[in-house]
Amino acid sequence: MQYNGGSIVAMVGKDCVAIASDLRLGSQALTVATNFEKIFPVQDRLYLGLTGLASDVATLRERFRFLTNAYTMKESRAITPSAFAHLVSSTLYERRFGPYFIEPVIAGLEFHPAPEGEGKGTWRPYIAGADLIGCLNFAKDFIVAGTAADKLFGVAEGLWEPDMEAEDLFETISQTLMNAVDRDAYSGWGAVVHVITKDKVVTRTLKSRMD
Amino acid sequence: MMNTFAKRFEKKPIGLRGTQGAVTEDDQITDAAWGSEAGFGNLVKGTHSFNVPAVPDPTAFLRMHTDDHADPNCRIKIQHGTTTLAFRYKGGVIVAVDSRATAGSYVASGTVRKVIEINPYLLGTMAGGAADCQYWETYLGMQCRLHELRNKERISVAAASKYLSNLVYSYKGMGLSMGTMICGWDKTGPAVFYVDSDGTRLKGDLFSVGSGSTFAYGVLDQGYRWDLSDEEAQELGRRSIYAAGHRDAFSGNSCNLYHVKVDGWVYLGNYDISQMHYEGPGDVPGSTGKGYGYDVRTGHRFSVAAEAVTA
Amino acid sequence: MPGMAHPQQHQFNPYSENGGTILAIAGADFTVIAGDTRQSEGYSIQTRYAPKVFRLTDRAVLAVNGFAADGNMFVKKVKQRLEWYRHAHAKDMPLRAIARLIQTMLYAQRFFPYYVYNILGGIEDDGTGAVYSFDPVGSYEREACRAAGAAQSLVQPFLDNQIYFKNQTAAPGQTHPCHLPLPDVLSIVIDSFTSATERHIEVGDGLEMYIVLAKGRTLHGMEGLRGAQELSTQTDGERVFVVRRELKKD
Repeated sequence: MQYNGGSIVAMVGKDCVAIASDLRLGSQALTVATNFEKIFPVQDRLYLGLTGLASDVATLRERFRFLTNAYTMKESRAITPSAFAHLVSSTLYERRFGPYFIEPVIAGLEFHPAPEGEGKGTWRPYIAGADLIGCLNFAKDFIVAGTAADKLFGVAEGLWEPDMEAEDLFETISQTLMNAVDRDAYSGWGAVVHVITKDKVVTRTLKSRMD
Repeated sequence: MMNTFAKRFEKKPIGLRGTQGAVTEDDQITDAAWGSEAGFGNLVKGTHSFNVPAVPDPTAFLRMHTDDHADPNCRIKIQHGTTTLAFRYKGGVIVAVDSRATAGSYVASGTVRKVIEINPYLLGTMAGGAADCQYWETYLGMQCRLHELRNKERISVAAASKYLSNLVYSYKGMGLSMGTMICGWDKTGPAVFYVDSDGTRLKGDLFSVGSGSTFAYGVLDQGYRWDLSDEEAQELGRRSIYAAGHRDAFSGNSCNLYHVKVDGWVYLGNYDISQMHYEGPGDVPGSTGKGYGYDVRTGHRFSVAAEAVTA
Repeated sequence: MPGMAHPQQHQFNPYSENGGTILAIAGADFTVIAGDTRQSEGYSIQTRYAPKVFRLTDRAVLAVNGFAADGNMFVKKVKQRLEWYRHAHAKDMPLRAIARLIQTMLYAQRFFPYYVYNILGGIEDDGTGAVYSFDPVGSYEREACRAAGAAQSLVQPFLDNQIYFKNQTAAPGQTHPCHLPLPDVLSIVIDSFTSATERHIEVGDGLEMYIVLAKGRTLHGMEGLRGAQELSTQTDGERVFVVRRELKKD
């Protein structure tokens, strides 16, 4: 899992979620690329981050694209984050005895329809993480994955608080990611953050350390 | 027949105890140890003696518990140093080092001083095990001072490097890890000697040591000439460390730059590698004024357009 | 033949890991050195109170972490050397000399290392706060703040962000402060340990913080600090206080 490096963090805010990753692709100590995206949109308000072996990142990205397109065609509706998380879990468990070397992170907004006669529903934040064979983790605060996972835990635990607005959430997740990857030799070299709210997704690239 | 021949020349490491009977506390602590003759100052008794575990193969024991390469899951993670370089040219010696120390994949420190100031006219660099370099180069500083007192003249770089290389050779195979360059200016002119813990000692014009040395060599070899000006030489040192810090995962943070002149060394400053990527080294002699990073210099125009990521 | 075992070789493994985390932060005229009090081995807790931070002199405090047996023995040996120094020279060893002493004591065991990560904190000769951190075989460096131990990778990046203001740009026209005041530092220390306790199984139970103040510094910043106990032996020199807090016990 350390061969290519890379890390991802996702956090929950007030009616918003954010997911961020570094941009490094390495070959052990050598940094091969500084523009390797690890977070992919699955739906409008659902993003998937994949960290671990880069070859599996690319393969699974395509596999999930196929699976979600098939779901959309069969169900005539977009897949929800919670259903997608379980889809990720079962896809990974299919390879229980020859797994993909991946730690996926799912972040999105889940629509909860209102009870009868009480108007429109709400979009609630949803994050989930899994291990390489699909064990899901439904944290309420943040999910971390990758070579800098320990470092991300430390900073996130120190900086996160519940019910942050989108701008504050962006600052918090950016500081978490940048400070954690600066202490990891296998992550860094650029960072990208997606903040998902019910009307829009804002994607920002951070000016981070390039060493 | 060959075995007996080889046995005659088999090297016994000096100063080891512990394999011949139990070592009691009283043996180790003499009265001298309590006063200022302790630590480095214990030269009255001659060379150092180290405690060694009472096992059949102490070297394997040490390797099992501390060596990253043999077993990355070993408990005792010793901090390793990485990219260092030194080259000599008509204006003296330029010594440039990075400042990152890693323990496994964890960046233990970004502010390590990898140039050890042996004395005001000799510098030593640190690569490999930080403790080995720090300790033995401090010891070398004491030996150089004693040489001055005994011979009433400054020690030559060749002699200083030979002290160090003979010393580490006597511990050969025991697990020390050092790759250092001893740099100075003596009667013969500027000199750089590479000394490592295998016992190698090489005189040369240009060296780079550490995990990022291959990246530094790329820049150094392309830019090196004997008749560089001082500004060009400094810039070459900085630029080479930047290249290594950028590409090597185990090098980075900042560059410390030194210049050894005829009357001693001067410290030219600390340059943050990430800042050099975006803005260049700042207002210093030799600087081009622009960032070193590839994407910065090309205005973020990649030759391959980023694939549009579709849902 | 089936069932025949391979020859077993038992290698000598004298080390064990006892968990825990320590940290030290240097201020302008004070230093805070803290450690949790849990000692564990694998998934078991050996004790909920095993101190890892020790007062050496009125101006130096040593925190040790890694293998507790080596740590406790190493502190004992350092204290013995300091006592001999005091008898030989009629004064306490200055902090940077204690740092060099620790290097030579650790390096003397280069081929059979002490499995200890040391952090020495205290007040230098010039009255400034100082923190020296060591690796198990003696390489050392003076810094402004350092975390070591099981949760070092959780705590150190948080400290980078809060103490050194890394990855933060100051408001236009201002700069980040060089040193933080004592109450801020104490809050950061407590937050670091509560965060580490949440996310690391080997950290918890209790927190001990030692505060070393420079000579002549008043107690400002420590008003209302519940439970501060003074450990200094003299009234006119540097002062050492210890403060204990609870951490989660799960």
